[in-house]
Amino acid sequence: MSGAHKKQNSVFYVLIAVLVFMSVGPVLLMFVNSFKLDVDIIGGTTGLLFLPTIQNYETALCDILWYEPEHLDFCALKFGGSFINSLIIALISTGLTLVIGCMGAYALVRFRFMGRDTVSLTTLMVRMLPPAVLLVPVFGLWNNEFCLDKEGLIGGMIRESFGGRGDVCLAGTHSGIILIYVAMNLPFVIWILQSFIVQVPRSLEEAARVDGAGPFQVFFKVVLPLIKPGLAAAAIFTFRIAWNEYLLASALSDRDTKTVPILIVNNMSEFNVEWGVIMATGMLLAIPPIIFTLFASRQIITGMTAGAVKG
Amino acid sequence: MSIARVNRMTPYMFMAPAAVIMAIALIYPLGYMIWGSFRAWDPSQTIGEAEFVGLKNYVTLWNDPNFRESLGVTLKFAFFVVTFELIIGVGLALLLDRNIRGMSLLRTMFILPMMIAPVVVGLMWRYMYHPTVGTFNRTLESLGLPSVDWLGSHALMSVIIADIWQWTPFIFILSLAALQSLPRSALEAARIDGATAWQQIWYIKLPLMMPVLIVTGLLRLIDAFKVLEVILVMTEGGPGLSTEILALRISRTATEFRELGVAAAMSNYLLMLLLILTLGMFAFQRIQEARAARIRAAAEEDV
Amino acid sequence: MLKSLKSTAVGFATAALMAGPAISEGHGGPYADYAGTTLIVNFPAHPHYDAVMKILPEFTKETGIEVEVDQLPYLKMRERQTLELGQDEGEYDLIAYVVFSKADYVYADQLENLAKYFMNPKLSDPGYDADDLIDGYVYNIGFAGGNKGYLQGKTGSLFGIPYGSETSILGYRKDIFEKHGLDVPETYDEMLDIACQIPQLEPGMGGVASRAASGHHASHAFLLHLAPLGGRVFDGEWNPIVNNAAGVQAANALKSIVDCGPEGAKNFGFGEALGAFLNGDTAMFLDTTVVAGQIDDPSKSQVVGKVGWALHPMGTRRGSQTGGFGIGIPANAENKEAAFLLMQWLTSKKGDKLVALAGGNPSRFSTHGDADVNAKFPHMATFGEALKHADPDWRPIIPVWGKINADLGTTLSKVLTEDLDIQEALDGVAERTRAVMEEAGYYTWN
Repeated sequence: MSGAHKKQNSVFYVLIAVLVFMSVGPVLLMFVNSFKLDVDIIGGTTGLLFLPTIQNYETALCDILWYEPEHLDFCALKFGGSFINSLIIALISTGLTLVIGCMGAYALVRFRFMGRDTVSLTTLMVRMLPPAVLLVPVFGLWNNEFCLDKEGLIGGMIRESFGGRGDVCLAGTHSGIILIYVAMNLPFVIWILQSFIVQVPRSLEEAARVDGAGPFQVFFKVVLPLIKPGLAAAAIFTFRIAWNEYLLASALSDRDTKTVPILIVNNMSEFNVEWGVIMATGMLLAIPPIIFTLFASRQIITGMTAGAVKG
Repeated sequence: MSIARVNRMTPYMFMAPAAVIMAIALIYPLGYMIWGSFRAWDPSQTIGEAEFVGLKNYVTLWNDPNFRESLGVTLKFAFFVVTFELIIGVGLALLLDRNIRGMSLLRTMFILPMMIAPVVVGLMWRYMYHPTVGTFNRTLESLGLPSVDWLGSHALMSVIIADIWQWTPFIFILSLAALQSLPRSALEAARIDGATAWQQIWYIKLPLMMPVLIVTGLLRLIDAFKVLEVILVMTEGGPGLSTEILALRISRTATEFRELGVAAAMSNYLLMLLLILTLGMFAFQRIQEARAARIRAAAEEDV
Repeated sequence: MLKSLKSTAVGFATAALMAGPAISEGHGGPYADYAGTTLIVNFPAHPHYDAVMKILPEFTKETGIEVEVDQLPYLKMRERQTLELGQDEGEYDLIAYVVFSKADYVYADQLENLAKYFMNPKLSDPGYDADDLIDGYVYNIGFAGGNKGYLQGKTGSLFGIPYGSETSILGYRKDIFEKHGLDVPETYDEMLDIACQIPQLEPGMGGVASRAASGHHASHAFLLHLAPLGGRVFDGEWNPIVNNAAGVQAANALKSIVDCGPEGAKNFGFGEALGAFLNGDTAMFLDTTVVAGQIDDPSKSQVVGKVGWALHPMGTRRGSQTGGFGIGIPANAENKEAAFLLMQWLTSKKGDKLVALAGGNPSRFSTHGDADVNAKFPHMATFGEALKHADPDWRPIIPVWGKINADLGTTLSKVLTEDLDIQEALDGVAERTRAVMEEAGYYTWN
């Protein structure tokens, strides 16, 4: 009996090992390959018998290294700049989405007001929007309509102080990409946070109100601290989308506001697939999400379950 | 008086930033897109300069065999992806639903694929599928087996496999959570009554999990229509149109063929499809909630 | 806004840096007025332009004009340019464009006519020697308004200068050919014959590495065979004739090349095809000349020193592709005159030789014959010979070509992967092409 049980158990552990290998394997493969030269990757020196090199990382990061890597004639990739763009865009849009999103969620949960149902329903509906659907209008609007005339007061001031040419448009700026990311993520954040706010006991809020706190004080001092786990989950998901998104960023960014996913796709140029460098850039892009996964998996799972179950 | 006014304004003040941003950056663009879909619109024109052509873009698309093929690919992709992910994900959850040490570490490992950028997932798989230097064909070769033309003649299957790799964990984790929150009493009762493991799964666990499963499945289904980057990086829609899902075709029509009007019309078709699915999801959820409540009540009565 | 802040800061810094030495060293001559200007140029990610990146510092040193390069993959580059050139004021001062963009840009009045710059004595270098530029390319890439609207002719004029001239050439593995006593193919029949013998002679090796992936890859590969086999996409009256006997023959050639090609050839883009040749998976390579640099680079190639070069095989005639890029000045550019100076410097005898030595593709006859260049790259003479057979009309350069090209590429990919009947497939292309041409007004005068 116990023998059979043991046998069953070992089958079970083998299964788990296989699963872990399957889910982590490709990432490990990328990690290992990012330390190989292209000749080693293509040439088929299989296995782990190779001389690890950081050359690929040097190529990727050449614009922010303090020395000039010997194997490069010029710095083509400018990964560092894109990485900074990605960071700026992902962090600011996550911050904004969270603040605005939890205020909205709070209003939807705690107050009855005119248009509440409409807002609630719209929020749910736009959550289904694929980014590809937004591509055409966002491209058109951000480039042509959401502009300030360069002759106008504010537009003129911006051109005067920041340089650049033509009308001042949202396209090609960090703010333009941030705006669409905030908008895209808001419905999801509102949706998740609602389920956390519902659980905050009303009595606490009322007690604070009796003590003379205004609605905003109640919100920031009482409600926010209590929904921290929800905020963490929402933050990770928002960051993940803003960090990983490619399509809209590629339509909106210009040479100074490129994010890392764009750089990676661009770098898979048809003339020269440099696997080693691509894997290195992929690895660098994957690092923040990997860190989140390792340190905040509990919050991620909370967020996922809240997002799916509390429809 | 003024305090009362402030109170009445409070919800609006809380809601305003979100409402304004969504109105500017989601609702208005959607309207703009619908407006644009009736025009012959080139990227170098503003929408005002573009000629109004009525329903022409919609009709052209409807008669365009390439669009239909791409629609077919999208539906096939979504169907297979969701089906396999549900079967594998739920199956694994049922298998692994027991107390093992290190379960949280395990879950961490499983989440990893979901968190990584689709662009990176695409490039990893493109490498692994590579006809000569890729991991799969090298492995097959070293085992003395014939190699497979992954991204050539089996391209759709290959991108489906990549998506299953990335998103099965989502279903697995949600089903596991659902399983672990099932009323223990019902399972206990079944066990005492001598139900086999299969019977427990089939008659108790699955029906009780059903509401969560349906919502999860529909969420995946909707997400399956959003997939773009993975396929873009792996195959760019080829060979032929065999992996050109609608999202990719929209982006190609807009950027490569430079027909914004047609791309907008295509976006609207996709939107309508998703709208139907979303409404279906609402309806299903309501019905299932009611049914689940009944089943649960019944199960508890049995005890 | 942050980005503008950043770029302005960079701009100020470079201006301050440049202004100093420019004045003190007294850069006289034609460049003096423009020293300190920062040009923003848009180049493709392409081996020739990688070589250009290496010589740009030389230009800055000589002239005091700073160059900031936005390098993009060329499909992306075209998207970006469509957007930038459409604005009232654009960011780019100089752009590189693919041949078939010429039609769009010139038609929409977005490129500067170069006449006024070459007429300006302050800008135009008397030692430029325009006659030395390779004729076929100037007409193919630079000219518009002549015959058929897109070629040279009495009504044509110059809008750009070829830079990064490519033609197609046959690379072959000397060792493999020697081992099996094969002759280097002169004609299409010989090439196809050898291509399909290779897999038997050398198990695991494919015949010819060719692109074939859906879209412009497949279309490009097909057109590569169409011209030498005597075909054209259109006849003189713009009737699509891609489905005639020559067209079918070209598609058949493509199909047998792919069938006798290496593993996975059906889905090869250019990168994969080249990769296969570099990795020693094929015995031949029939495509553009830009690859020479990589084939000799031991960090990328396993076939260094094993490759010989021959002219693109003949069908009924010699007709290798004319491809590559041209450079032109956008009509909405800010620093047009400085941009012209850069353009002239890059394509001058000196610039052309520098870029050739850095591994680029020269656009002048004299550079192909240059002793230094030939000493470093012995294949250069063959390439120069190949350029003489370059066919400027191997593919049409009309504004609707993008659409036709996409259709052709998708359909051919179906022929290769789904065994669609060739004649039927090409008939379909011809029919749809006719509709596109009809709508664009090409039959108005018939």
